[in-house]
Amino acid sequence: MEWLFLAVSFVAVLAAAMMLTRQNAVHSALFLIVNFGCVAFLYLMLDAPFLAMVQVTVYTGAIMVLFLFVIMLLGAETTTDTSGRMRWLGLAGSVVAIILLLIFAFPIASDMLSDERATPLDTSAQLRVINAIPGAEAEEFTVMEMGFAMPLVGTVRASVAVDALDESMPDRRIENVVYNDSRENIRRYIELAAGDYTLAVGVSDGSYASGPVFIKDLTLAPGSATTLVVFENAEDLIDVGLLSDDLSAPTVGKMRLTLFNAVTDRQASLVEVGQYTARRSLCDDSACNTLIPHRRLIDQLPAGEHISIELDEGQYNLAFVDQDQNILRTLAEYQTARGRIETRALVREPGVPGSQASYRATMYDAVGVPAFGSPESVGQVLFIEYVLPVMLVGMLLLVALIGVIVLARPDALAQAERRRINRRRRVNRPLVSVISQQTGSDALRGEYLAKLTGGADDGASE
Amino acid sequence: MNPVGVEPYIVLSMVLFLLGALGVLMRRNAILVFMSVELMLNSANLALVAFAREWGQVNGHVFVFFVMTVAAAEVAVGLALIVNIFRERRSINIDDLQQMRG
Repeated sequence: MEWLFLAVSFVAVLAAAMMLTRQNAVHSALFLIVNFGCVAFLYLMLDAPFLAMVQVTVYTGAIMVLFLFVIMLLGAETTTDTSGRMRWLGLAGSVVAIILLLIFAFPIASDMLSDERATPLDTSAQLRVINAIPGAEAEEFTVMEMGFAMPLVGTVRASVAVDALDESMPDRRIENVVYNDSRENIRRYIELAAGDYTLAVGVSDGSYASGPVFIKDLTLAPGSATTLVVFENAEDLIDVGLLSDDLSAPTVGKMRLTLFNAVTDRQASLVEVGQYTARRSLCDDSACNTLIPHRRLIDQLPAGEHISIELDEGQYNLAFVDQDQNILRTLAEYQTARGRIETRALVREPGVPGSQASYRATMYDAVGVPAFGSPESVGQVLFIEYVLPVMLVGMLLLVALIGVIVLARPDALAQAERRRINRRRRVNRPLVSVISQQTGSDALRGEYLAKLTGGADDGASE
Repeated sequence: MNPVGVEPYIVLSMVLFLLGALGVLMRRNAILVFMSVELMLNSANLALVAFAREWGQVNGHVFVFFVMTVAAAEVAVGLALIVNIFRERRSINIDDLQQMRG
């Protein structure tokens, strides 16, 4: 990648230098196009594909074509550049350029020499908690960041109730979340500064004897989204599964489905069946020698694990199947939506134990964040945060358009000149007196003049 | 993804800006002066995009967008002015334009 950068930047600088030194303006314009093309390529390398395309269309396309048109319209391909009068400007230009170079180079050099690196601003990470404990629809989960000075001895800490834990330690309570199944709540992430955390996740009513679950040294990467799935493990203790996602948009036209298996004694598979089936097993006969036709999307996901798949846009008949080919749950006519990021936790319904137990696959969805620099992300910022500037710039373009039309009227100058001359010729005196003044004699005598100048002049004329 | 850090881009942007400034100061052809101004705007854009990448903020891209828009408007008006000046004086040498000289 570095050699690519070096090559492109070399061409860019070379083209700029050639542009400056060519006597023919058309050649200069063509070299400037090369330079703009190189800059567009660098935009691509800087993860700005949208701007690269705008650069090509607006700059190298529209603006440079405008330049070339004007050059050829004026026939000004070669204008002598050395008028002689202001040749000292060249020398002054070089001096100013060197001064500018020093001014610019100083901070860059000082930055390169110093070891300190600035930390980027966007270091937030997302965290959310999903309640996958059967029957605990509205239980309260407490997520706390533990003080770093404390030794983390799980067995000792586990006997402390969450509330007591909160008072006795200088911990920062991050969020006290009441989760029911309303989707608005579930979608919400807590925004945290990226970094390492030690978290305690617990059910606040203390119905679980084990107390809070500690997650030690959880690294929340910048821009990542972490989901904590709280579920009940095989020993009837609460456990926490970690799902990490960067919330990046799925492949175009697809959606991402993450399945978390919170049923401890089952290995979950996700299969696509041809049509909706009310049966409770994939087996075609009682001995389970043959299976009904299906397509396996996820195969044998152990409890407490998760896996992500991407689904094409369309409609599916899905079924969650355990290792014995029992259908735990069906999702008939499941419609995928492009760009969606969906997390599903397969949980056991509370109440009936054993083989009669029913299951559900609760959905927690999120919307993918468009990739950095993509048209979508730029558009979102442009039309949400910067609506007013966009309007003003549009206005500016309109004003420029009108100004150009006014300026470029073919007879604009001639008309202005004519108007100026007309204004100079317009006089308020009667024409006859002007003529008389110019010819040195009275142009008209007698009645007409008397009528023209009024009765007061009658006596004087006779 | 991007092994080249922000500094090389800033250095390149600086070099291009200086070349543009040199062009503005040394060339006497009005169209070439204009093209040099475009070069300077472009180098500033490059710096903005590089910093946007460094900080992970799309705002830099938005500013580049605005700069491009303003540059387009400026070029349109400026070239119209140049055409008019050429019509009147049969020259676009900016040394000849001294009417406003005190």
